[in-house]
Amino acid sequence: MKVAALSLAGVPLENPAEYAAALAALLKQLQTGLAVLPAHTSFLLCAAQEQLVDAGDFAASFRAFMQKARAWNEVYLQMHCRLARENKLYLVPGTTIVEEGGRFFLAACLIDPGGRIIGWQRQTHLSREERSFGLSRGEELPLFDVEGMKAGLILGTDARHPEVGRILALQGAGLVIHCGAIATGPELAAQPAGIWAQVQQNQFWAVEAQLKGSMGGRTFGGRCAVLGPCEITPGQTGYLDRDAEGRPFAAAELREADRRRIKTDYPLLELLRPEAYRGRLPELYGEV
Amino acid sequence: MALDGWKERLFQKYLYWICRPARLRRKLSDLVKEGRAAPPREGRRLRAAALQVKIRLFKDPLDYAAEAHRRVAEAAAAGAHLVAFPEDNNLPLLGLLPGVEEMGEALAQGEAAPPPAAAGAPEITVADVIRYAGPVLAPFLHTLYSTLASAYGLYLMAGSFLLPDGERVVNRSFFYGPGGELIGTQDKVHLMPIEWEWGISPGREFNLFETAAGKMAAPVCMDATYFETFRILELQGAEIVIIPIANPEPYNYWLALRGIWPRVQECPVFGIKSALVGRLLGFEFTGRAGIFAPAELTPDGSGVLAEVESPEEEGMAMAELDLEALQELRRRHPWRDSNPALYRRYLPRLYCQLEERLKLKPAGD
Repeated sequence: MKVAALSLAGVPLENPAEYAAALAALLKQLQTGLAVLPAHTSFLLCAAQEQLVDAGDFAASFRAFMQKARAWNEVYLQMHCRLARENKLYLVPGTTIVEEGGRFFLAACLIDPGGRIIGWQRQTHLSREERSFGLSRGEELPLFDVEGMKAGLILGTDARHPEVGRILALQGAGLVIHCGAIATGPELAAQPAGIWAQVQQNQFWAVEAQLKGSMGGRTFGGRCAVLGPCEITPGQTGYLDRDAEGRPFAAAELREADRRRIKTDYPLLELLRPEAYRGRLPELYGEV
Repeated sequence: MALDGWKERLFQKYLYWICRPARLRRKLSDLVKEGRAAPPREGRRLRAAALQVKIRLFKDPLDYAAEAHRRVAEAAAAGAHLVAFPEDNNLPLLGLLPGVEEMGEALAQGEAAPPPAAAGAPEITVADVIRYAGPVLAPFLHTLYSTLASAYGLYLMAGSFLLPDGERVVNRSFFYGPGGELIGTQDKVHLMPIEWEWGISPGREFNLFETAAGKMAAPVCMDATYFETFRILELQGAEIVIIPIANPEPYNYWLALRGIWPRVQECPVFGIKSALVGRLLGFEFTGRAGIFAPAELTPDGSGVLAEVESPEEEGMAMAELDLEALQELRRRHPWRDSNPALYRRYLPRLYCQLEERLKLKPAGD
């Protein structure tokens, strides 16, 4: 299966028709079975099309978006379901805000090639800032079938919490889909501590979409990538492909036979020692 | 066991004689005459030294002791309060066994490994060799590293040693205090496939060493491949996690990145990696000793405080660890979160299922 992660750099956001046409052109060029958009895609589109943004205040803009999200999601989901259907691919259109019972969650959906939403994932760990927005944590990590492969979603800050990848891997995930947004600055150097590290300690594939762009005075600059265990990637880097200047996507073919081989030769998960964790995990965990 | 004849027992007596603690103490008292205590620590700061040791065989254990002393003395002279040696730090003493050096040279020149035991003769495993030499080496190593720690008044992680423990053979790290007292040990919990083949037994828990200088731990090499190690230690209160490594593969930046660095980012602690490098008995050990911190505590966001340049030569990485800054980061961490409801929902069941599955397979298979 060929997969792609898109950063949205250079994609026009202000006009829905232009956005859809630009994305469709990119997807046609890539000819992938799965495409992933970055975190905050919904927020970004809403802000651009509904003039939400307070240019100097990301937090204020985000809070405004939370209040608009319920109505906006109809537009956002319809637009991306159509994109998936017309391009006959699985699509994860980045993250949005969903509201349930007065609680707000960061969440992403998986849309199948028929344009149907086949599942949702809520972000399970929140940054200090996200907690300050009043967001709630998801408490489930389901797997979805993507062309015969079990896939899980890792959203935003979840990438930095290895429990998420481990739970998905021990349930049998062969592929992880990540929607991320990393602010520029020293934090960028730590990007491999996220999805790259989760891939290496769980031996699944990952499609990592990172947002490139600015909003509310904050600039995002992580790199999109398609990742696999080091041993089955060029130069043993763990990357099958990464985005680059003027190339706002990473795309690669996932060869499942290669992954099965490395899992046989070096069965990392079978070298786990659950008896040494008993009485410690999850017992030691406390609330933040 | 194959090595139970009288010649073997006689040779073991010889090993006891040349490794006897009294002989070692005399040597050490000569060596550490000019030893000086580490400078006092300032508040909750301490200077740590991660040693990169180039492996070679020693025929006389006193030469090994002199080498260990040289490394500690150098680190102390540079102001270290904490010094870490690498994994398998007793392998150089295999040189005491007859034929090992010659075998190593032959292997280095491309000769094939020795054939397996002849039909009918019992196979000798690595664990058998350790069971034979271990009882001799254990008191020698304890005397050596305990004396060095007290002579220089510093915390000393002596690296890990392959040693017998009853019927088991373990890969065990040793942690000494500045008075020379053994503060604690840690058996490697996650074994590499080759260690299962060698007959090594895994550790069953993770130990925290509570000291006046901070809360520390010393899991071994492959333990850093798994986040569980660091998470358990972090949640128990660890501030410094020392990982001795002996990585038997050609150096590759990305392969080497899979250990301590991401673990330190996931579980905010300081990380110290001490590395064994060089060639021995057909193995090529590589690695870059280093000192790591959460990215938020390094000015460039790299998460690296110091790192030895070469992955193949001797070296030392040294850096100051500010434990108060670490605690402050933990209190105000920008992205760290916890979701106990999620962990309770999945982890016990998934670990249990894995354990059941592993029970159906032979160990290490």
